[in-house]
Amino acid sequence: MAVFYRRLPRFEYLLPKTLEEALSALKNQKGSAKVFAGGTDLIPQLKRREIPTPKCVIDLKGISGLDKITYDDGSRLTIGSLATISALAQSPIVLQHFPSLFQAASSIGSPQVRNRGTFAGNICTAVPSADSAPALLTLEANVKIKGPKKERTVPISKFFTGPRMTVLKPDEILLEISVPKPAPASRGVYLKLSPRHSMDLAIVGVAVLGVSENGVCKDVKIALGAVAPTPIRAPMAEAMLKGQRITSALIDEAARNAITQCSPIDDHRASQEYRCDMVYAMTRRALNQVFAQ
Amino acid sequence: MEEYSVIGKRVPRFDSREKVMGQGKYAADYSMPGMLWCKVARAPLPHARILNIDTSRAERMPGVKAVVTGKDFGGWTWGFMANTRDEPPLAVDKVRYLHEGVAGVAAIDEDIAEEACELIKVDYEELPGVFDPEEAMKEGAPIIHDYRPNNVSVDYHWNFGDVEKAFADSYIVREDRFKTGKVIVGFLEPPASLAYYDPTGYITVRAAKQSPYFHYRHLAACFNLPLNRVRVIQPLIGGGFGGTKNDSVAGDFCAVMLSKMTGKPVKFVYTMDEVLTTCRRRHNMIVYNKMGMTRDGLLTAIESRVVANGGAYTAIGPLAMYLAGFATTLPYKLPNFKYDCYRMFTNNPVSAAMRGHGITHTRFACEIHMEMMAEELGIDPVEIRMRNAIDNPKRGEVYRTINDVSLKTCGLKEAIKAAVEDPLWSEKEKRPKKAGPVSYGVGLSGTSYLGGARQLGHQSCGAIVRICEDGSVNLLTGATDCGQGSDTVLTMIVAEELGLKYDDVQLQRVDTAYTPVDPGSYGSRVTALAGQATQKAAQDAKKQLVEAGAKAWNVTPEEIEIRNSVVYLKKNPDKKMSFEKLAKIASYEGSGAVILGRGYSGYGIEPLDFMTGTGNGGTGYSFTAQTVGLGVDMETGKTDVTDFTIAHDCGRPLHPISVESQNEGGAVQGLGQAIYEEFVMDKGKTFNDSFLDYKMPRSTDSPDIKVIDIITDDPDGPYGAKEASEGSHVSAPPAVVSAIHDATGIWFKELPVTPEKIVKALKEKGRWLK
Amino acid sequence: MEQIRLNVNGKDYELQVKPSATLLDVIREDLALTGTKEGCGVGECGACTVIMEGKAVNACIVLAIEANGKSITTIEGLADGEKLHPIQEAFVEIGGLQCGFCTPGMILSTKVLLDKNKTPTDQEIRKGLEGNFCRCTGYTKIVESVKVAAQKMRG
Repeated sequence: MAVFYRRLPRFEYLLPKTLEEALSALKNQKGSAKVFAGGTDLIPQLKRREIPTPKCVIDLKGISGLDKITYDDGSRLTIGSLATISALAQSPIVLQHFPSLFQAASSIGSPQVRNRGTFAGNICTAVPSADSAPALLTLEANVKIKGPKKERTVPISKFFTGPRMTVLKPDEILLEISVPKPAPASRGVYLKLSPRHSMDLAIVGVAVLGVSENGVCKDVKIALGAVAPTPIRAPMAEAMLKGQRITSALIDEAARNAITQCSPIDDHRASQEYRCDMVYAMTRRALNQVFAQ
Repeated sequence: MEEYSVIGKRVPRFDSREKVMGQGKYAADYSMPGMLWCKVARAPLPHARILNIDTSRAERMPGVKAVVTGKDFGGWTWGFMANTRDEPPLAVDKVRYLHEGVAGVAAIDEDIAEEACELIKVDYEELPGVFDPEEAMKEGAPIIHDYRPNNVSVDYHWNFGDVEKAFADSYIVREDRFKTGKVIVGFLEPPASLAYYDPTGYITVRAAKQSPYFHYRHLAACFNLPLNRVRVIQPLIGGGFGGTKNDSVAGDFCAVMLSKMTGKPVKFVYTMDEVLTTCRRRHNMIVYNKMGMTRDGLLTAIESRVVANGGAYTAIGPLAMYLAGFATTLPYKLPNFKYDCYRMFTNNPVSAAMRGHGITHTRFACEIHMEMMAEELGIDPVEIRMRNAIDNPKRGEVYRTINDVSLKTCGLKEAIKAAVEDPLWSEKEKRPKKAGPVSYGVGLSGTSYLGGARQLGHQSCGAIVRICEDGSVNLLTGATDCGQGSDTVLTMIVAEELGLKYDDVQLQRVDTAYTPVDPGSYGSRVTALAGQATQKAAQDAKKQLVEAGAKAWNVTPEEIEIRNSVVYLKKNPDKKMSFEKLAKIASYEGSGAVILGRGYSGYGIEPLDFMTGTGNGGTGYSFTAQTVGLGVDMETGKTDVTDFTIAHDCGRPLHPISVESQNEGGAVQGLGQAIYEEFVMDKGKTFNDSFLDYKMPRSTDSPDIKVIDIITDDPDGPYGAKEASEGSHVSAPPAVVSAIHDATGIWFKELPVTPEKIVKALKEKGRWLK
Repeated sequence: MEQIRLNVNGKDYELQVKPSATLLDVIREDLALTGTKEGCGVGECGACTVIMEGKAVNACIVLAIEANGKSITTIEGLADGEKLHPIQEAFVEIGGLQCGFCTPGMILSTKVLLDKNKTPTDQEIRKGLEGNFCRCTGYTKIVESVKVAAQKMRG
């Protein structure tokens, strides 16, 4: 029977006051609990019956100290797992030192969604088009995860394992995303392509972080979203540019190469052919913006 | 030209205060004690025979009070015409579209009702389905309705003049295939109602209906009650735009039946994905258009063959197909016209009415076709239109088209002039054509839409103006404001006729127990027809008041005037009294008369002729010329639409704020259809059933819009008014496509023109990323 | 059922709610404040926008229990008795509404926008309202209303 649900399914609600309480609750629920922060992905999923209804939901917002955005000693940005996307988008530090993160944050959803949603939640939901991911990949961020027994740090490049799949185990909680400050004179962009100007998912998302000196590419990182089972880097395209004199022909070649590293699907939002074409067009655009003289 | 006191003024909308304060109540805002919640259970297959329904487990669930299935409605079906009543409230023997309703549950909580739906067990025999209208036409296609074994829901074949000869004599003839997309009205308020079936046999319903009298007749027929025992009360309505809120939905019938079964009030509210998947949507049509022109670009003939996707039931299909054809002879002079149309049944949700009903599809095809041919002839888009446009008839004269559509006013040429004199068009050569990857373009369209639509069936349209003893005034009208602003216009008319201030008039929203019948809000008929009824009712009330005043002052009624709530002698304005005083005199002195003004719309036009396409579809026709400014990113195909200028001939704007708003909103809704909106479906399943993926324009997608009024003072409209609700919805898509052509050099013949389609076309021409 | 306390439009309420009840359900049904509307129910249309702890949120995807102890403003809390807030006045004067269903959410998003940015550009207004869908007006008179409201609020 097909039913269009207007109400949420029944579940219990826990509001742990400490991280230990949260981890303990997770463990006790033996996989039948879901943690959440903003709920902007979880609540709609539950309402639409897209995922099996958990026995209980664990609200992390009762744990203090997890919502900070800090830039101590100017060497790394630490984004607490409860820091909202709005907080990121409104942070002068993020705007100044991590512009691609600022662009990514501003492109997500709407003000209402950004006021509740988190970057942590965005990467944990792990849809291939997650807007936070490409910029974080180019910045080589690290994800700190805490389990019942220990803490571990996972580089973002290893975090995603498949569509809506990450290395996060059912009894673990994401604590923070830490983003090293990029090399001086770096430029970073995140370009999101979608049919409308608001509210859409990315058809293709491209992040580029690059440094050049005297017209030579010293370093470049290229990351793509929505064109593979996970957000990905494009290492071969990067290799074509590193150490080379930057010309529009070379940028063009690298952008074309980026297509070979992605494997988009045909779906109701776009065809495979269009996505591939847009990988080329948008990577080229992003590289041109970053290496503009 | 008359100077009006209230008409034409920028007064605030009648209901603005209650809306901005959040006090106004919509259907879902109502509750009653002891109320149950209704949920509709739906089929998981697009085409299947229903073998058995077992509701026992659902009925046994604690909190569930009743379950209803298709059989409980006793074989009753409904439809637009007597011979097309093919739609049951819930599927009975067969399911014909995915998620068609098969049962309804009433429970003490909505959660319980939802869970109970899962417990209803239905045995189906799946049948092969057909989902494309041209596939449905083929020999051997699955039959959806036994009474239409060839799946043709509606077909018309009209012929005016001699198209064959005209084509043979033409300098240039083009044949092209155009396609409009699968789009939906997109109201923000999902259908909802609160129903109570009193055991004495009396139904009371508060429902989100933009034409409540349709619903009241449906309920009377369905539940075998006389009309005087069916009461539909209209709350505020969160958007109509035609279609769903003109028809009745499964939830409506279930709620009333469940109330009958339980003796309790029953409420239902649809979800938005339910709306996008199961509710009425616009017909999507394929238009095979053939057009001929002389060397000078004058139209010689149009032959349109239209195939429409009708979905699973007939609904208002007969009207849709009539409207798609009859106005092809507007807004340009056309000496020969042939129209063949086929509305095909398919296993899809039902296609019905939407703003710009019918005309949208063929006007899109003909506008683009005309520009394509003008390009071939080397005639510019303004010139081609000016050469062909119907002239504004002189006062007292009537222009008749070849299929006997008659016009007393036509402001098209003025509208085109105004639109192209506006800097968006006139200064387009001064602006850069390119900036980085973006190519800029400006487009134009010239279109028409009918107002004052009438149907085949009941046309009765009445109004009552009641003067209370203290001079305050109620307007009782059957007309429905679904957001378009009709309450404001009708109130203004009463104030104008009675000589009162706008704020002195109170409008009573539709309550079929008390308000006189009116067909409803569709076909841009409310200002024209309910407006006339209201005007007459107010004039009748004024006559009674002035007669009483004349007696009191010992003068003749003709010597008395009322302005700004003051009653005075025309020849000696110092002899005066307040309107309140006059009302008291009329109410209390003399025979103790109750002052009730009655009026009805008597616009006599011939009934619609579906079979030959001859005659008028409405009482008047608006004309719109629109320009569009946009930029196409030639690398991604993404289009930024930045400016609209809309020159609209609605005769005379009675409430300028509403006229502007309707033009702006209609055009943006048309923009959605032109480049953003499309249901992606396969085998009857809708893949983009959310606001995220069914892409309606947001604030950041919408252009700056300028509206220019073209005044033609139509003699057939109240105060000269014609329609101002649908014209810009028809003018937007062709103007956008014309602008995309200007920017890219490519003609697009299929809506929506998405970024992906633009890139594909550029690639085919070897022009992508060069 | 869980016990929660909400401060809505300046008034404190003690309520018993299901964990799975949304803030929207509770506002509309338990508190009978029906000015906040449900459109899409999944945070995509903004019809259910309320201001919670000074920020605009979609009440349909906030659990009521998450709002425990928080202060919330709904559309009913904006006017001062019968006196309209300047934003409400502007929407009435300019006609920034038609069917009115998006209006409560639109006005509250406008309030958050103007409280932060007293002189928004057209672009900033459109971006600030990108979470609030309107089908009727084409947004033109909404943007105009916001500009007039900003003027009124600047005094």
